[in-house]
Parts: sequence; structure tokens; C-alpha cells
Amino acid sequence: MGRLSIRWLLGELPKLEAERVIDATVAERLRAHYAEKTSGSGRRLVVAIFAVFGALLIGGGVILLLAHNWEAFGRGTRATIALAPLLVSQVMVGWVLAKKCESTAWREGTATLLALTVAAAIALVDQTYHTGGDLESFLWRWSLLLAPLPWLLNSTAVAMLFLASLTWWAGAAKVEGSQILVMWPLAAAVVPHLVQVLRSGRRGLRAANLQWAIALFLCVAAGLGLDHRVPGLWIVVYVGLFALMITLGAASRRGEEGLWRRPLEVVGITGSIVMWLILSFDEPWRHIGWKHIHTTERFHEVTSWLDLALAIGLPLAAIVAMALLLERGQHNLYLLWGVSVPLVAVVWPLTVATDSRWIGAVSFTLLLLVVGIATIAEGVRRQNLGTVNLGMLVVAMLVMVRFFDSGFGFVLKGFAFILVGIGFLVANVVLSRSLRAAEEEAK
Amino acid sequence: MNRSLRLALFVVVALVQLAVAGGAIVKSELALRTGEAFRFRIQPVDPVDAFRGRYVAIRFAVDRAPAADDLDVKPGKHVYLPIEIDTDGYAVLGWARAEKPTSGPYLRLRAGGVYPDEEGNRFVWVSMPFRRYYMAEDLAPEAGRAVWSGRRGQREASVGVRVRGGVGVLEELYIDDVPIHQWLAENADAR
Repeated sequence: MGRLSIRWLLGELPKLEAERVIDATVAERLRAHYAEKTSGSGRRLVVAIFAVFGALLIGGGVILLLAHNWEAFGRGTRATIALAPLLVSQVMVGWVLAKKCESTAWREGTATLLALTVAAAIALVDQTYHTGGDLESFLWRWSLLLAPLPWLLNSTAVAMLFLASLTWWAGAAKVEGSQILVMWPLAAAVVPHLVQVLRSGRRGLRAANLQWAIALFLCVAAGLGLDHRVPGLWIVVYVGLFALMITLGAASRRGEEGLWRRPLEVVGITGSIVMWLILSFDEPWRHIGWKHIHTTERFHEVTSWLDLALAIGLPLAAIVAMALLLERGQHNLYLLWGVSVPLVAVVWPLTVATDSRWIGAVSFTLLLLVVGIATIAEGVRRQNLGTVNLGMLVVAMLVMVRFFDSGFGFVLKGFAFILVGIGFLVANVVLSRSLRAAEEEAK
Repeated sequence: MNRSLRLALFVVVALVQLAVAGGAIVKSELALRTGEAFRFRIQPVDPVDAFRGRYVAIRFAVDRAPAADDLDVKPGKHVYLPIEIDTDGYAVLGWARAEKPTSGPYLRLRAGGVYPDEEGNRFVWVSMPFRRYYMAEDLAPEAGRAVWSGRRGQREASVGVRVRGGVGVLEELYIDDVPIHQWLAENADAR
């Protein structure tokens, strides 16, 4: 049983006792049993975090020391220095695998150190022999060598380092005009580790951290991976991706508390707001679709097809996740955030057929307004201040971009801002009062 | 997965990690110890790499080679480039070919595509593998400055490269035919 479930159970005990579902002895025995189980878990978490940060600092320090370039040492000495930290950390990881496999702190700490000493070793060899090409080539070799480690060592810290290095490589390679299709199969190396972590504790901190890394990686990778042969296809891909994150996050939720433990929803909603705001301008809708397909530049055939597969697959997957939510009859608010998918499915082809930019811009302006107001309403209904503020943030940002965008006069803009501001304050005061009243009533 | 299988797999991964780092050492040492020496003219600048420290970025004065009419090579594929010596004693790239030359020194490099030049002659862009000369963090900017002034015609910059079996390894950076460390020591005032 996870820590959150135990905390819930212990919180329920007084009520169960009062309602005579269990007697005082059973309640006491349950308290003693679970107190024992949770007593060390907080400490273990702190130790694991310190182990990872310690390893990060030591490994980073080794890289910086080597980057100084100790030219006074001969090539032989430097080659030995390059391989020695790698060998030491390999032996440490081997020992942990054999003897201390159950300890998260040992596993994560030594795995992180190994990941960094791999980087230090290839960096020093490159430096000593002036080989290895540019940063792109270095990051590529590092990513390849890291790929099996997250699963093999069951290390989330290394999985995060791996995704960061792979994203960095993809960015650097894209700037150089190289093909980065291979990023996708390589990134799939974290999937077995994700399964591993979700199985061992889906509500734990490791699962949350890994999902943050994956969600952020997908946001960047989707953009980098696109070939842009068909102009505007990115609109469908990103709308689908963020809707999928929100609905998938909501569908797989098992009572996780706090925003940090719900990365898919947080990244999905933030991404959606930014994307919809961009799409509420008419510029992104200019010259999109098959009629404006690029024919003169050189494109990669497979990547172009992948663009299309993502543009169809992501929205479809989001719709499946929405259907799942509907079937369970829950999470109405999340379904609302997924409305962008059917909307883009209608607006995109319509814009392509008519070549008129305003259809998309007006549709997404209305979507922001409707979702913002509906989110406020849902927050008020559930008496949740956070949800109300999210809805108001959406409306406020829409007002801000619209008024900076259009040719309205300063006086009108001024009044609009003051009105929205007053709206924020009034709504918060009213809601806070009603929440306080509800609390007092409950007492 | 049981513990010994995981451990065995890790040993394989660890050996691959060592082989990648160690293999690069062996390949470079072989070229440096037994390779033939050449000198290429360069045009450098001095940037920094977060992982590998400071270096003098090297732009080769010659980074393309003549291509015969029948040479068909896609960007990213390897070509073989015989090394020839010009009248000043510097190395230049000979006619690019798709097959390994049977005799004489050559480099195996990645092609960047075949294009016609201003006179309509075909040439192939090549990606030189030695584009960085790593130096101590305090010396690299000075070396960069020294070589930069060389670009304005006062100093000649070049690199010594050892070549063996198509592999080239950078050995030394020269300013006016003097190795860079010696040059920096002798020209403390000029820096």
C-alpha cells in the first residue's frame, strides 16, 4: 500500500471508530502496523534524493575538472584518467545490482554517477585526441550509451538524464539540418522503465518525476520531429498531443494529490492554453494544407509520413481516452478541455478548403472563452478556488492577447482590463466566503 | 528478471561503454603512432563546449574536393579522398571517389552532397572530422586570438594531422610553422 493510501486510511480511523465499524483495539493495531511501515519511508526518500544530487554534483565536478584540459599530462595518463572514473562507477553499479538492488538510494545514486562518468570518459577521449566532432555527435554517443541503463538499473534519474540528452541532441541535430527520425525508437528505451516504475508504485514520486520528464520531452520532441512538409499539420499534432495528455492523465488518475503528481494534466493544460492562444491569431492559419505543400525543398519521405501518422493518431488516441472518461461518467472538466480535438478536426479541413484564416482564429478564440467560463462555473460548483482561478486565467489571457492584437483604443482596453481585474477579485471574495460558510456548516 | 541475468546484462553494457571510449583511444593512438604526417591550412576561432572544455574551432581552408562526372554520392555517405601535396607543402584533397584507393594516403570522410561550382566543375563538400583543437581553458582564447590575427594576413595557421587507413587524427596546431604552445610561450608580449 502506498504512503498516500496509508495516510488516507489513518485519517479514516477516528470516523470508523466513532461509527463503531471497528473497535478501539483494532484501530490501535492498525495505527501501530502502518506507523511501522511509513516510519522509514520519508527518511528513505530523503536519502535517495541526496544520493542522486550527490552523484550529480560529483559527476558534474569530474566533467568540469576534465574540461579544464590538463595538457601537462601525457596522452597515456589522460586516457587512464578518462577510463578510471568510468570503471570505478561500473564496479559500484555492479556491486549495487548484486548486493543492494532493493535500495532506491544506492541504485539511483550509483546509476547517476555512472551516467555522468560515461559522459566524462567520452569527453576526455575526444579532448585528448581532438576527435569526436561537434556537440551533436557527443550527445548522440552519450544518449546511445545511456539508453539501456534506465531499465537495466531501474533508475528514474538516469531516465531523466537520458531524455534530456536525447532532446538536446535532437535540437542540435535539427539546427544542423540532420535527420532525427531515429529519436523516436531510441526514446522508446524509457518505456520498459516506465512500466517498471508504474508497477512498483504509480502514485509515488519516482512515477511522477518520470512522467514529468516524458511529458516535457514529448512537447519538445513533437515539434523537433515534424518535417513540416504539409504546412499547418503541426496544429493538429499539438492540439491532439495536449488533449491526449489531459485525458490520459485524467483517465489513469488514482487519487494522486498535488499538482506535482499529475504531470500529464498540468503539462497538457498549460500546453493547451499556450497553443490555443497562438491559434487565436490568424497568422498560424495562413497558407495551410495540401494546396500549399512544399515541393522544392528536400524532405525525408518517412518523416513526412510520420507527420501524417501523428496528426491522425494523436487526436484519435485523445478521443479514445475521452470515450473512456465518458463511459466512467466522471471528470467532466477534462472532457471539456478535450473539445479542441473535434473542433480542430472540423476547422482545419475547412480552413484548408476555403483558405480563409479567420475561421480558425475565431473558433479558437471562442473555445478559449467557452472553456474559461465553463472552468470557472465548474470551480464554483465544486467550490474549488484553484479551478475557478484557472478558468479566470484563461479568460484574462484571452482578453490580454485579443486587446493587444486588435485595433481597439486605449480607453476601451483600459476598461476591459479593469473589468476583468474586478471580476477576478469579486469572484475570489465571493467564493472564499462561501467556502468558509460551507466549512462552518460542516463543523 | 532475476538478479544474475540483470547483472550479466549490465556487464555486457559496461563492456560496450568501455569499448566505445577505449576503441576511440586505440584508433587514435594507432593513427598518431604509425600514421603518415600531413599539414592542412586552417582558419580557426575559439568557442567552448560544456562537456569537453575550451577548444580552437578549426575551419579548413579546403573543405571540398573535385568530383568526377560519374561520382554519385548521397549526403551523409562516405567518400574516399586521396591526399595530395601542393607547391607550398600543404596537404590538399584529391579527386573524390566512391571506392577505397589501392595505394597512397587517403581520408574516409562523410560527403555533404555533390554540386557544380562557378565554372560548372563538379565538387563534393566533405565534413572534416578534426574540427576542434582542445586546449587548456586559459590558453584556448589566446590561441584563438593568435590565429585570428593570422587570418588578416600576418600569420599562417595550420594543423598537423596523422593519417592511417583513412582515419585522420589531429596532432598539433601551428602558427607560422611553430607548435601553438611554443608559439604562445615565445610570443607572450605579442598576445
